[in-house]
Amino acid sequence: MKRVVEVTINGERHELALEPYRSLLDVLRNEVGLTGTKKGCDVGDCGACTVLLDGKPVNSCLVLGVEVAGCDIVTIEGLQPDPERLHPLQESFMKHGGAQCGFCTPGFVMMAKALLDENPNPTEEEIRFGIAGNICRCTGYTRIVTAIQEAAKELSEGRSPA
Amino acid sequence: MNVVGTSVKRTDIIGKVTGTAQYAGDVKLAGMLHGKIKRSTVAHANIKRIDISRAVAFPGVKAVLTHENVPRVLHYGSPHPRSASVTCDQYILDRKVRYWGEGVAAVAAVSEEIAEEVLDLIDVEYEPLPGVFTVEAAQASGAPVIHETGYANNLLFKPVVVTRGDVAKGFAQADLIIEGEYETGRPTPAYMEPNVCVCQWDNTGKLTVWVSTQTAFMVRGILAEVLGLPLHKVRVLVDHMGGGFGAKQDLFQHEFLCALLAKETRHPVRMEYTRGETFVGGRSRHPCKIWLRQGFRKDGTVVAREARMTYNSGAYGSHGPGVTIVGTSALTSLYRCENVHLEGRCVYTNTPIAGAYRGYGVVQTYYALDIQMDEAAARLGMDPVELKLRNAVREGDLAPSGHPIVGHGLEDCIRRGAQEAGWEQLRRRPHEPDGTFRRGWGMGCEMHGSSAYPGIKEQGNAIVKMNEDGTAVLLTGAAGLGTGAHTALAQIVAEELGLRFDDVAVVHGDTDIVPWDIGAFASHTTFMVGRAAQMAASEVKRQLLQRVGEQIEVAPEDLEVRDSVIAVRGVAAKRMTVREAMGPKPGIPAANLVGNGTYTPTKSYSFAAHFVEVQVDTGTGQIDVLQVVPVHEVGKVVHPVAAAGQIEGGIQQGIGHTLTEDYIVDLTNGRSLNAGFVDYKMPLSMDMPPIRTIILETAPDPGGPYGAKGIGEDPIIAIGPAIANAIYDAVGVRFRHFPITPEQVLAALKDKTNADA
Amino acid sequence: MRRFEYHEPATLDEAVALLGRFGDEASLLAGGTDLLVEIREHVHWPRQVVNIKKIQGIAALGYDERAGLRFGALVTAREIETSPVVLEKYPGLAQAARELGSIQVRNRATIVGNVCRASPSADTLPPLIADGATVKVYGPAGERTVALEAFFTGPGTTLLGPGELVTEIAVPPPPPRTGKHYIKHGRRKAMELATVGVGVTLTLDGGACREIRIALGAVAPTPIRARNAEDALRGRALDGAGIEAAARIAMDECRPISNVRGSAEYRRDMVGVLTQRAIRQAMEAVR
Repeated sequence: MKRVVEVTINGERHELALEPYRSLLDVLRNEVGLTGTKKGCDVGDCGACTVLLDGKPVNSCLVLGVEVAGCDIVTIEGLQPDPERLHPLQESFMKHGGAQCGFCTPGFVMMAKALLDENPNPTEEEIRFGIAGNICRCTGYTRIVTAIQEAAKELSEGRSPA
Repeated sequence: MNVVGTSVKRTDIIGKVTGTAQYAGDVKLAGMLHGKIKRSTVAHANIKRIDISRAVAFPGVKAVLTHENVPRVLHYGSPHPRSASVTCDQYILDRKVRYWGEGVAAVAAVSEEIAEEVLDLIDVEYEPLPGVFTVEAAQASGAPVIHETGYANNLLFKPVVVTRGDVAKGFAQADLIIEGEYETGRPTPAYMEPNVCVCQWDNTGKLTVWVSTQTAFMVRGILAEVLGLPLHKVRVLVDHMGGGFGAKQDLFQHEFLCALLAKETRHPVRMEYTRGETFVGGRSRHPCKIWLRQGFRKDGTVVAREARMTYNSGAYGSHGPGVTIVGTSALTSLYRCENVHLEGRCVYTNTPIAGAYRGYGVVQTYYALDIQMDEAAARLGMDPVELKLRNAVREGDLAPSGHPIVGHGLEDCIRRGAQEAGWEQLRRRPHEPDGTFRRGWGMGCEMHGSSAYPGIKEQGNAIVKMNEDGTAVLLTGAAGLGTGAHTALAQIVAEELGLRFDDVAVVHGDTDIVPWDIGAFASHTTFMVGRAAQMAASEVKRQLLQRVGEQIEVAPEDLEVRDSVIAVRGVAAKRMTVREAMGPKPGIPAANLVGNGTYTPTKSYSFAAHFVEVQVDTGTGQIDVLQVVPVHEVGKVVHPVAAAGQIEGGIQQGIGHTLTEDYIVDLTNGRSLNAGFVDYKMPLSMDMPPIRTIILETAPDPGGPYGAKGIGEDPIIAIGPAIANAIYDAVGVRFRHFPITPEQVLAALKDKTNADA
Repeated sequence: MRRFEYHEPATLDEAVALLGRFGDEASLLAGGTDLLVEIREHVHWPRQVVNIKKIQGIAALGYDERAGLRFGALVTAREIETSPVVLEKYPGLAQAARELGSIQVRNRATIVGNVCRASPSADTLPPLIADGATVKVYGPAGERTVALEAFFTGPGTTLLGPGELVTEIAVPPPPPRTGKHYIKHGRRKAMELATVGVGVTLTLDGGACREIRIALGAVAPTPIRARNAEDALRGRALDGAGIEAAARIAMDECRPISNVRGSAEYRRDMVGVLTQRAIRQAMEAVR
């Protein structure tokens, strides 16, 4: 039986009637139309579906849509400060080769956002630890780590708003 | 050069970092149904009966397909234009299953959940056949025949034999003969985007397919052929795709089933593999067994090489012939040798299908070759770097393709890598034989061709159009796997036309619009399609300068274009923007400038040497890769950041297959044991070492645009033997297989301790 | 995903009533990081899912010198991993929590869920057992407390009866001069299921070992104590030969199986190597 759920997604309030067995990932992609969040494994192993749930990074495939009633969710589509500008992480992933096929990228960017929110100046080791649940098959991680380091600098020097 | 050689902002990335890039799985159409495949629970059997009555009656189910109601057309699993690389041995659904997990039926339903649930209501009765899960079992006398269409003894095709010189004479000159047996595992590409497609028919009988593929025109061709449609009734769309690494050259079963379900239900249908299905129903590298024998002179010169390799194709042929031919003939080269005799075989087994995967047969044979070279160096008391330099293939030597090699790329890579790693000091450093954690260095080499020539006479096509404001559009069929190919192509067009990079756009991914393309594989996109794009741009430039020359009465040869500005050579004042030159005049429309480029390449070779440091935990057998110094010679680099990204990603996959990645099949029943990311272990962020990438441009190939060569496959090849050689350096144990597991390291260390005592 | 009905009880009694009503058809959902995977991978198909996240009073984490650490059924692995008191007083548990899946998983997964799932390889079980943890069980017959090491009856099974659930875990405070360590063995540095897990908690008295508990994961149908190995060390000086001998005893006490993650022989070898390493590191951690 469907349940009605009120939830804030990327700053916008939604009222959704959801089947209880649909994951937040499927809800975002199929019912809200936010397909930036990707399904790489659907069992919490790859991190491609990472979103922020009340500020914390989670695998949206392992959260039921009906569980997020009253919650605040941010997806990759909600990261840009305004339509004309990219978030420094987005700029940095572009510039430093942090994205290739791009399928893992939204998950990485959201995880990196959560990481920098908690720890604005992470070491390389802390970054590698932080993104351990995000699989990238293209880059060897080197340039993703660089992209996060450079975005951290950019953010902490206050050159760009988070 | 102005644009080529700079790391411009990749135009495909903005959609990826903002989540707006459209992948096939993001397509949502009104009335769309969801399809699922029922997979076999036995590895080898005839289907006696399939009962779909309960499934058909289930609420929400719209169609059920089995071998009884789909067209029975034998087809090439991977549809290169009927080349000798691929095998014609598949049906959409067959009366027989040949591996555990093969699709036997498909359903379309109003929701994914119902489609999934109803698979349990399809009853399949199997008549089991004996299964063969190893190449030995498959070739034994009396083994069950997997395909009636095969050659003999479950061979896909006649063994490949490559001979140069006289091996017997070569071995007679040898001071040292080494032989060894080598075995390689079953890594899979594990691209992040699971296979997916959406199919829709319109009321003119035209099929539109959104699909994640490297070979859109091949998908179009084979769908048309199998479904009996002319090509203008099939349109294949692929905008962004989440990786392929070779495997997404094949058609899997779902493209056909999705199209047929959409036809039967008169609704669009979406089919997406689960992660488990990307293993079970996907494509792996060919497991391979290699016997290799080489003869050496005292000074290290290789005088004879003899090898036999047997590739395990799994249940269908896919790229088995191509992989076998390329992997076998690769052993004619890398380290030069005048007397060579090679035999390659490819065998069907009742295991998941092996297909094309980055490094295409060569990963296996160069693993054996490079490890044996390291062993020879140790036996001859030589530095492996010196031995490999002595034998490195070079200018004028015959490449595996039969072409003369251009330049000294391999020697350049070895020398530069040795310098960067500080190899001479490393060789002199004392080893600590007793510590729990022991470190070692190793190096490995590789070369790999851009394009599938001579197996396939390839063709790259491009159309460049100039707009009336002086901007240009490139139309290409090349797929964007994530490598940055479209950006590189746009850079080449901008460079050739003299435009700013931002003035060039790329249109791709629609088989109804862009010129025919063979697909993105064989490390050839920049090399081949790049050259075609350069030719098309050059033609537009010719037209442009002719138009301007007539306008201002200057010979076209005296004009030059740079940063979208046309100038008369040597006359600073005489300038106009391309926009001004192209623009419509009152009462006169703008010119229609279109250039068409078609390029039929032969082949170029890229080279690499990888230097790597490992640490072995002698308590647990665990191996950590501490650092990698890859040196690649790739001719002209078009986009340095993207090129380095290819190298580092290839190294990640190479470390993976050497140490942790192996798709395991139960050899008693053919079941897959680790079809998921928990137990199929790819190196993650914390496992990957720092990589100090060095790219050389010392041996440009005249066949590529501005001398550019391929880079996609190279980086996965040399890292494996480099690691195996580093382990030997660290603990004195020689491994001749991959993956090298901690358990095996520990067992080998125990054996060594016992033998030493 | 399989279809199911969904319930959000507001109290423990409502949860117990739902479990009673649906019996085997029901599964509890707390973090969901195991349950949803199992449903999706067809390991099982509960027709009723009972989400306990709305229940008040089971989400707290607290410590006092007398009772030690207490945390409720909704406390996540990430909360444990980042809790200053856990990091200071229960470093083995903190380390195990840190190695459970990814940060994304740990933001959802609960330690109680990890316990109730009763996987022999579950990371948090060896350090909790080594620390002498107990679980509080709530059910139709009221509340009872069970020692964690006695809680498991087999792979995936526990002492929990029909309608019962775990509401809290309590871990005694460490005595002075106590050191702890947890070592997980896997092929990768993260996102692993343990091939072997070793948790050691020891208390020194001068140079001698006053108390030691060694708990092993992934080498028997349930996590186990290596009691004979402990006995060999208790009351003795912890020297190299003694530790090595105890590790050999631990190898005899474990009952590993072979599977795709490792052979029984290798797991047994690793019990030997890692027990020694865990004891040494626990000694170094003594404070």
